[in-house]
Amino acid sequence: MSVGSFNHRGVWAIYRFEMYRFLRTIWTGLATPVITTSLYFVVFGSAIGSRMSDIGGVDYGAFIVPGLMMLSLFNESIFNASFGIHMPRFLGTIYEPLSAPLSPFEIVLGYVGAAVTKATSVALVILATATLFVDIAILHPGWMLAFLVLVATTFCLFGFIVGIWAKGFEQLQIIPMLIVTPLTFLGGAFYSIEVLPEPWRTITLFNPVVYLISGFRWTFYGSADVGVGVSLAATFAFLLLCLATIWWIFRTGYRLKS
Amino acid sequence: MQPVISIRNLSKRYAGGHEALKHVSLDIRRGEIFALLGPNGAGKTTLISIVCGIVTPSAGTVEADGHDIVRDYRAARTRIGLVPQELHTDAFEPVWSTVAFSRGLFGKPSDSAKIEQILRDLSLWDKRKAKIKELSGGMKRRVMIAKALAHEPDILFLDEPTAGVDVELRRDMWALVRRLRDSGVTIILTTHYIEEAEEMADRVGVISKGELILVEEKHALMRKLGRKRLTLNLAEPMETVPEGLSEWDLTLSDDRSELRYEFDANAERTGVPSLLRRMSDLGIGFKDLATEQSSLEDIFVSLTSDRRERAA
Repeated sequence: MSVGSFNHRGVWAIYRFEMYRFLRTIWTGLATPVITTSLYFVVFGSAIGSRMSDIGGVDYGAFIVPGLMMLSLFNESIFNASFGIHMPRFLGTIYEPLSAPLSPFEIVLGYVGAAVTKATSVALVILATATLFVDIAILHPGWMLAFLVLVATTFCLFGFIVGIWAKGFEQLQIIPMLIVTPLTFLGGAFYSIEVLPEPWRTITLFNPVVYLISGFRWTFYGSADVGVGVSLAATFAFLLLCLATIWWIFRTGYRLKS
Repeated sequence: MQPVISIRNLSKRYAGGHEALKHVSLDIRRGEIFALLGPNGAGKTTLISIVCGIVTPSAGTVEADGHDIVRDYRAARTRIGLVPQELHTDAFEPVWSTVAFSRGLFGKPSDSAKIEQILRDLSLWDKRKAKIKELSGGMKRRVMIAKALAHEPDILFLDEPTAGVDVELRRDMWALVRRLRDSGVTIILTTHYIEEAEEMADRVGVISKGELILVEEKHALMRKLGRKRLTLNLAEPMETVPEGLSEWDLTLSDDRSELRYEFDANAERTGVPSLLRRMSDLGIGFKDLATEQSSLEDIFVSLTSDRRERAA
């Protein structure tokens, strides 16, 4: 029996396998962001936030929620997607999807789809946790969800690339720890870049994470450091770059096929 | 009859420059057990990996059941199952789940009855809920076979299926392979164990340094290249081979009690009757005699060493 032009059962098999792994460790997977978020609110919301004025009319505690969600979303997206594809490479079980009647698109859809589900779940759990500490009104909930999924997809694709590039588990940690987390902290997760003096404000605009956090914050409060259109364009540009890299990986077999 | 696997001028040069396969052409017949023999690094696993889509060929074409493995990879791969040499498994997965996963990957609808049948056939039914890490090496090997059979392939590649397994399990595996062949599955196995090929294969291919040296019916090969050895258990030990027997290339055993004569079993004149007559004439008696056919291993060693000598 032919699998037809789209092997939906194969995609579902990968997706379900990855989600089972997430569900096996769901309590640690969800408890960690909940505890971390709570600590951020204790430190930034209560200890420091109480001494800070509103930012653009938004309470500081509420202001940092989109940034916190993005911070976790970036890390969870990269971690889950890179781990998802790196594990079968490490264990040698990658031979199965590679020898199955699956196109590169279907393989990526299975692994990245599961990673997107996990990362957005964690981000939404953080949002739910945040509501316990601050009042949050989401101005554009539809856009918020769409932006969340778009950014998660983009960073999961990036994580997929990291998972194929990495030669070991140490390298899986390098990109999130040394690049993404610093860029997020410096990208306006906890402040508006409007408060930065020049030339730091201009320099910060070279940080791509600024556009993601700014766009996401717009979906909550209707105000942003940079235009929403620019944020979306930057996100799509990164998404396309990741897709082009993955296309090249499957075309050349880079670290997948010899 | 159209071959179930058709390989034409297949070559593979790895990025480091190593030429693993050199213009290999091979047809596998539907329903046969084909054994691919060769020393380490000969190119056996590379050949299998290309057919299964894990390694990209440098040149050449492969068709599985008439479907090109590159252009028509979905149809080709649906027909192929692979049991790799290494025990690559997800240690924390239960047996049932990992087999169901493999079936799903190949686009087959969920079928509990089919998976149950596969697990029962492989004596894995009692272990269906066990995590793979809890299984013995032999059981893990069975799980690998179950995963490869989960999508009901017509063609099964077994890469060193009995490497590192005990004798009992090896014989179980052989029985399983025969049952699969009887059910219509074409089997291609690579092995170091000549005994394995001799026991099971219908045809044998010998690969060395990336080149397919020969492909032959196993029995025909043994007939064609096989030599026989006659062993005569002497009535009285002798110090040296008598001058009168010098026209036969005889050797004397270390304990001087046996005369050995190697001959071509397919030759028109083997020299055996004349040898026995001459011994009778010379009054050399013997208590017993035995003949033995050279094994596939002898043939394999002879073939590969001939090539080494020619290359030198």
